[in-house]
Amino acid sequence: MPSAGCRVLAFARDWSPHSASHVEQRALRSHLRGLGADLIIVSAHQAWRIRPDDEIATLGELAARELARAHAIKREDAVIVLDYDHASIFEHRGPVVDHSQLLASLTAATEAMLMPAPTTFTRRGWMSTCLVSGFATVVLASCKQHEHRDPVPEPAVVPPPAVAHEIDIELDVNGTTHKLRIEPRVSLLDALRERLQLVGTKKGCDAGQCGACTIHINGKRVLSCLTLAATAQGKPITTIEGLAEGLGGGALHPLQTAFIAHDGMQCGFCTPGQIMSAAALIKENRAKTDDEVREQMSGNICRCGAYPNILAAIQSVRGGNAG
Amino acid sequence: MNPFSYLRPTTEKEAFAALSQPDTMALAGGTTLVDLMRLEIMRPLHVVDITGLPLGKIETGVSSITIGALATNSDVAYHPDVVAKLPALADAIRAGASGQIRNMATTSGNLLQRTRCPYFRDASSPCNKRSPGSGCAALEGFTRMNAIVGTSKDCIAAHPSDMSVALVALDASVHLRSTSGERSVKVGDFYTLPANHPNVESVIQPGELVVSVEVPITPLAATSRYVKVRDRWSYAFALAAAAVALDVQGGTIKAASVVLGGVGTKPWREPAVEQALIGKPATQEVFVSAANLALATPDVRPDNAFKVGLAKRVVARALGLVAGGSK
Amino acid sequence: MKSVGTPIDRLDAQRKVLGTATYAMDTEVTKVAHAVIVTSTIAKGSISSLDMTAAKREPGVLAVMSHLDAPKVMAGKGKAGGAAERILQLLQDPQIAYADQPIAVVVADTLERAQHAASLLVVKYTNEAAVATIEQALGSASTPKSFNHGKPDWSRGSVEVGLVQAKFKLEQTYTTPNQNHNPMEPHGTIAVWHGDELTLYDSTQGIFGCRNRISEVLGIPKEKVRVINQFVGGGFGSKGTPWSHTALAAMSAKLVNRPVKLAVTRQQMFSLVGHRPHTIQNIALGCDAEGKLTAVRHDVISETSRFDEFVEPSALQSRMLYECANISTTHKVVGIDAPTPTFMRAPGEASGTFAIESAIDELAFMAKIDPLEFRIRNYASSDPQGKPFSSKSLRQCYDAAAAKFGWKKRTPDPRSMRDGHELVGYGMATATYPANQQPASARAIAKPDGTFLVRAGTQDLGTGTYTVMTQIAADALEVPIEMVRFELGDSLMPETPVSGGSMTVNSVGPAVKQACIALKGMMAIARPEDKAKDIVAEIKTELAKDHDLYSMHAFGAPFVEVRVDEDLGTIRVARVVAAYACGKILNPKTANNQFVGGITWGIGMALQEETIRDRRTGRNVTRDLADYHVPVHADIPPIDVISIDEEDLHVNTIGTKGIGEIGITGITGAIANAVFHATGKRVRELPIRLDKLLG
Repeated sequence: MPSAGCRVLAFARDWSPHSASHVEQRALRSHLRGLGADLIIVSAHQAWRIRPDDEIATLGELAARELARAHAIKREDAVIVLDYDHASIFEHRGPVVDHSQLLASLTAATEAMLMPAPTTFTRRGWMSTCLVSGFATVVLASCKQHEHRDPVPEPAVVPPPAVAHEIDIELDVNGTTHKLRIEPRVSLLDALRERLQLVGTKKGCDAGQCGACTIHINGKRVLSCLTLAATAQGKPITTIEGLAEGLGGGALHPLQTAFIAHDGMQCGFCTPGQIMSAAALIKENRAKTDDEVREQMSGNICRCGAYPNILAAIQSVRGGNAG
Repeated sequence: MNPFSYLRPTTEKEAFAALSQPDTMALAGGTTLVDLMRLEIMRPLHVVDITGLPLGKIETGVSSITIGALATNSDVAYHPDVVAKLPALADAIRAGASGQIRNMATTSGNLLQRTRCPYFRDASSPCNKRSPGSGCAALEGFTRMNAIVGTSKDCIAAHPSDMSVALVALDASVHLRSTSGERSVKVGDFYTLPANHPNVESVIQPGELVVSVEVPITPLAATSRYVKVRDRWSYAFALAAAAVALDVQGGTIKAASVVLGGVGTKPWREPAVEQALIGKPATQEVFVSAANLALATPDVRPDNAFKVGLAKRVVARALGLVAGGSK
Repeated sequence: MKSVGTPIDRLDAQRKVLGTATYAMDTEVTKVAHAVIVTSTIAKGSISSLDMTAAKREPGVLAVMSHLDAPKVMAGKGKAGGAAERILQLLQDPQIAYADQPIAVVVADTLERAQHAASLLVVKYTNEAAVATIEQALGSASTPKSFNHGKPDWSRGSVEVGLVQAKFKLEQTYTTPNQNHNPMEPHGTIAVWHGDELTLYDSTQGIFGCRNRISEVLGIPKEKVRVINQFVGGGFGSKGTPWSHTALAAMSAKLVNRPVKLAVTRQQMFSLVGHRPHTIQNIALGCDAEGKLTAVRHDVISETSRFDEFVEPSALQSRMLYECANISTTHKVVGIDAPTPTFMRAPGEASGTFAIESAIDELAFMAKIDPLEFRIRNYASSDPQGKPFSSKSLRQCYDAAAAKFGWKKRTPDPRSMRDGHELVGYGMATATYPANQQPASARAIAKPDGTFLVRAGTQDLGTGTYTVMTQIAADALEVPIEMVRFELGDSLMPETPVSGGSMTVNSVGPAVKQACIALKGMMAIARPEDKAKDIVAEIKTELAKDHDLYSMHAFGAPFVEVRVDEDLGTIRVARVVAAYACGKILNPKTANNQFVGGITWGIGMALQEETIRDRRTGRNVTRDLADYHVPVHADIPPIDVISIDEEDLHVNTIGTKGIGEIGITGITGAIANAVFHATGKRVRELPIRLDKLLG
């Protein structure tokens, strides 16, 4: 399918897919979706195309050389933004472009999209402007400070001024402190999903009626959809992503292992909530019999009906019956 | 949800000062306020998070147990003294909501929760409770889950709390505090009937906070139960429920407490049933015949008339269980 | 070591327990804009004014799209035009056809801002009286113009004659209410435009149907629309074909020049994404002194919208379930001011088996014949509609389940079994679901590193597709399962049908198998230099020819024990034993879960689920999961499923019949029968709740 979209060309002599971490690749793809763009990275001997939902495609040494020739790249790095008609609308040649800088540029470009589009712009014009301003801001700024690069990309553009009612909060999630500037009306669920990209916690009803959003605060199971993020400050929050932490790299929590072995799921949407709820239930140590476990897990609805397997998984970890 | 300012005071003085502002509401567990704000039913401009106040203790005294307003439902329901001395209260809380909600909801929040009437919860339906004078969409609508006693021509919304039913049966009191002082009100007198002002649900005044609920420790309270009947086996509101307590000595009932849930605009005490029990032998026949005196003049509609018979049977069942000492 | 037939762990289970399985709304899109649909508060009429001033003034609001400015799109029936196509509500005019119909979309930079701005729209309507229920319009019941399964009316012999011949006969009406699917994952779409190409991250059971319909709606070529959905959080039919929100997401993304994320709220799940329609089913049965059926008549009326026809085919199974010379079935619809219904788990069989299996039991009771024995006496060894069955192991299902359940312990009289306060009832029924199949394609790739990648653009909604397709591929390639990776969920992959009608495995399985076999063939003749690159085989299957020659159905027999509190009327299902014969079972572990899931749906349908509409306004009163009850953990007892091995050489090249929906069939009748056995009360209206048993 030929792409008719905006395209970013990054000439980065030392880049390769292996040098970009999983987190960075995820972030790259997220930005490409946000911009509706695709990205071609050309190193000394190879070129790759990155589209958000496809494997990184290797374009070949020949393609790399062709692209370098077409844009008159000799030995330096560069970033070039092409319009939909493949006309070049932005170029910067100069210092090393590495993946964190690339990411920062894309971040800046998407931040730039927050500014209202002037009505005289066509959509295409607007997209290009965002990319241009994004790259200009970051890549040019990096000329001055390429000695001091953050390992984790930070937005290079200052966030817009706080709207009335926004507050600064700190959330301790899975052992990491996150600073957020949000309106008080933001739920903890939406803070986790929309602002921290911790999408393991699910929104099933947003009304406290299904349990899919269950997480731990201070080790107790609660519903994140009915918790305002602001009220969760100063308390340790654990989500499904953090449940197995502390058990040693890559290890699963015993409940996670049990859910796999007993097939405690079908579609899996309620699963993070079920597991978080079950983990807390085990700590509560009040439910012993099958009936007690069923009753005390009834705040987690499973529409697929994996209940008997969920019960079996929980009881296998508890050492209970599940008869 | 409308934008609002958020404050979390650490002293009562700060809290009262904040709560005295107009368009301001207190936030505790959030299970009512966040839910109804998201539906655009409750719309405070200022939210005061009172969970920083030191009101979470559960203290057992000689003659009563005092439960802090901010003690969570779970903490209360599994407190060893509550379980041993006020079993109906433990039963009732455990019968409500879910484990997660019980961990979040507080004593005062449970007391002050709002009705589940679907017309109240729908911002575009006429509702005298939400907006006095606009009408009541429930009267001629779907009423299976609505009240059949304590109603008026302006409102038939049922009070959904399980905990409150038990508190009334156990003769508990609510302690209220404001900048002008303190007062206590029996839980049975705390709730108001809708009459022609269903927007008022209790005697709590603007500027007042519930600080604790105090429940007497008595032989009557120690022999108490809560039975709840609903449309599925958990995580559902009551069709009919009963909190009962019996003081039986030598096979004769000396004191009785019978309060219905799920059927009233507030927890519904049944003095006629209580009187019919006192002085009689504690037998199932006596329980059934006393229970049949409940709900003498209900205000029923075709889809909720069944609650009259059901409530009576729930009372009889609860009395049998509490007398038999079995589950 | 073969993999098919072994209970390996679900291959996507690890991602699901870690929370890393990406559902549509988990897709990361930096700075995505959030859209919220605003819906009508009336059921019939039109918008007379729409004041957006306050909404647009809110900070962060990017657009408010309504009929005043929405781009012109094709919301009507598409070229495909079949029963699955429906008219969408895409803000093309101010008409209101049902309560909670989309009337605007608010887009903002945060979800909270969009939600609040949506509440600030001031809408005035010209309101017309709405017909909210079938009962208010029975006189207008009419035969549907189209029907997915042959003709709406079918008969053989003469039911009138059969009823005259009958020693025992009955005529009763059974009803099922409006029900909503309520998968745990609400519907939602993220729409991203890349130039003039559109990518949709959509929660759907049919990525190709979504692609095709959206391309038609927007008037852009199919090749410019890509639909991606790797994990579906349940669908049960509600995600089978696209609804308005998907098109509205694409339209608003174009309007604001930004990717848009549009989540359907749980409240909107009751009006925007279909429902199982209310049915009124009239059944007449007759049998002779030995219980042999002489007449079966099953007439169905169900609701549909004013603007679209959907038929719940509840009488279909009555055409083939039991042997009888005189059978008559009819279907009629009543158009009312409600949304268009849709397929909901076993559409037809779920609602229809409640009626027929209750009626059969009622007739057996009149004839004083054990309900299981009565069914056995009327066993149809070939389909009464004319064709032989490709295979049928119902008898083995009856025997196995009855033995495990202890059916022999049942004393025939109602109220004859009890345990303390509880009246005990034993009930059973016949379950059935057709073995559907459609053509499908798959691609098998041998990678240079020696591993294999198999792709088919299909869906996994918890059905175990990832797992069983990998097992099929591994066996066809004759390699260990660790060497094979199966991918799905992208419309750039080979095309397959919607994951509905229990036919994913029947359709995609053969395609995967054949593609792998073809790949093996290519590898056998490949030169060494070929193996340094991908070797690719792609296959498109045809329907098995035997579909014309045979009637293909899966069968089963659920047995349930219910306990009814004699004073309080509360009903609980104490245990279930069910046997199913569905051809070849590819993975007993994931299959068992599916059967149990279907049974759980049956318990919910029988005892809990009902969406109430206010007769005065046509608006749903039931609009959330607190009011719409589905079973919770505490409702579900031990469920024992027996899988009867069955070889069927006609259904398809892997011998499967599909298992996703059969679990919900029959069991609602079994539960109603058990309640009758426990209490002596016959309830003919679902859901069976205590108020129908008291007094």
